[in-house]
Amino acid sequence: MSEGKERTRFIKVGFLAPGLLYLMIMAVFPLIWSLSLSFQRWKAATASPRVFVGLRNFFTIFFDDPRFWNSLRFTVFYVFIVVTVELFLGLLLAYILNERIRFRNFFRVVFLFPMAAPPIGVAFMWRMLLNPDAGIMVKMMNNLGLNMVRWLTDANLTPFVLMTVDIWEWTPFMFLGLLAAFQALPVELYDAAQVDGASRFQTFRFITFPLLLPIMITLTLLRAIDAFKLFELVFGITGGGPGTSTESLSYYIYTVGFQYFDLGYACSLSWVFLGIVLFISNFLLQRLRKEV
Amino acid sequence: MKRKKSPSGFTIFIWVFLIAFTFWTLFPFFWGVITSMKSPGEQYSTAFLPHFQFKPSSYAWQVVLGQAEGERTRQGLRNSVLISSLSSLLVLFLGALAGYSLARFRFHRWKNKDIATWILSNRMFPPIAVAIPFFLIMRTLKLLDTIPAIVMAHVVYNLPLAIWLMIDFFRELPEEIEEAALIDGCSSFQAFLRIALPLSLPGIVAVYILCFIFSWNEFLFVVTLSYRKTMTMPVIIAGALTVRGLDFWKVSALSLLAVTPPVILAALTSRYLIRGLTLGAVKE
Repeated sequence: MSEGKERTRFIKVGFLAPGLLYLMIMAVFPLIWSLSLSFQRWKAATASPRVFVGLRNFFTIFFDDPRFWNSLRFTVFYVFIVVTVELFLGLLLAYILNERIRFRNFFRVVFLFPMAAPPIGVAFMWRMLLNPDAGIMVKMMNNLGLNMVRWLTDANLTPFVLMTVDIWEWTPFMFLGLLAAFQALPVELYDAAQVDGASRFQTFRFITFPLLLPIMITLTLLRAIDAFKLFELVFGITGGGPGTSTESLSYYIYTVGFQYFDLGYACSLSWVFLGIVLFISNFLLQRLRKEV
Repeated sequence: MKRKKSPSGFTIFIWVFLIAFTFWTLFPFFWGVITSMKSPGEQYSTAFLPHFQFKPSSYAWQVVLGQAEGERTRQGLRNSVLISSLSSLLVLFLGALAGYSLARFRFHRWKNKDIATWILSNRMFPPIAVAIPFFLIMRTLKLLDTIPAIVMAHVVYNLPLAIWLMIDFFRELPEEIEEAALIDGCSSFQAFLRIALPLSLPGIVAVYILCFIFSWNEFLFVVTLSYRKTMTMPVIIAGALTVRGLDFWKVSALSLLAVTPPVILAALTSRYLIRGLTLGAVKE
């Protein structure tokens, strides 16, 4: 019997260990290394040696790097707008399709397409649609009397173009998530509400909405964390421009790290970014945390 | 069922809205297909009916798959398939084991949910934060521009999600079956291999496909860790951007090649895709 226990113990620990070790080696160790680099000045493109500079990189980020603050401002603004719009559009669609059963599976599959496609492919497809000279969308808008070209060259307006693509890509996420949640709602409550003569709006306001709220918060957090890491759309559509008007945090760090090869500073930026993301993630993790 | 009697303005509004949204969702894909059938001379035209408005041409496909750039494209597809299937296989192996352990056994020093939450927190990292140390590690190991480097990166990227989902799949199996097997003289390992694993096969396949899609679509790690031999399809699309601007026909054809496989896989596993994307928070 004790041999059996030994073996059970082997399975319990031996099964978990490889996965945990892998994450330790490939996720935790790189991050710690990155932290140590963030205290150094290391411009790999020049011959200057690596020097320990203490917290100087972080001082630069907070007090002397308008480009960082610009990208942070853009990213936060972007996340706020896209998540809000996606939530409301998704809610509307889920509400509609929950009632109309016909063709529901068709819609369910169609709306998966944008999410399943590689984001960089999405970016380039939209880049063509929105090409100022030849894009079909720009031409169609022109025919309707709307001048789209300004949207693509005016630094105040370009962020909204990126947001539109994001909304195209990710509204289905909110929609399908909420649709599943809608279907899980108990039917009895609705029957009772109908017997009591509740209006459509009252039913939504006092039954559906409160029941759906937890999952809405979870989906919003998920989406916000993901949107915060915005990279491919910027890379593929605007390259951060015009100027730095659409430079997201990920894209800025990528530029510093892989174009200027200012590795020390890029690592400091990464850690500031990581701090922000982990702070938001914490709320999500608390919600997802479960009894296992 | 009072509502059904009135096909009112509300119903009409709903259908108009739904059709408009479907059109909006499908249009970029549709336009990609149309553009890939145009010759370079017509690539900027607004014609959209092949045979009627323009003469469909296989020029784009001949360039992308034929002599001119075929080798590059085929290499990209090969790399994409290889990297995605290999990394997903590794993820599945590590993920199923860890998931089973966390679902069936109780850990004391660290509670199970603490371990699981810590694992999931790895999923939250912005990839760019890991990309720089990865680049340096792979450079030190002389692994830049090799398949193993990208596979290793994609395993880290997908493993937390896989473990997290596998915990759920194993917990949904009734424990009694395995207990009965243990009483009948099965070892714990046999109970896992012969009973738990086959019974959770749908979940395992779903996790594999999910990881395959995520790995196929992943861009940042590939673009930072490869420059020639190991580019995957997403990076090849990005490489089609030249100083002269975009060749619409070519980018369309390449994008279609990159977009079609994950979209088909997602359509086949639509139920699980949402579950995976919401980290198991939404179950259908």
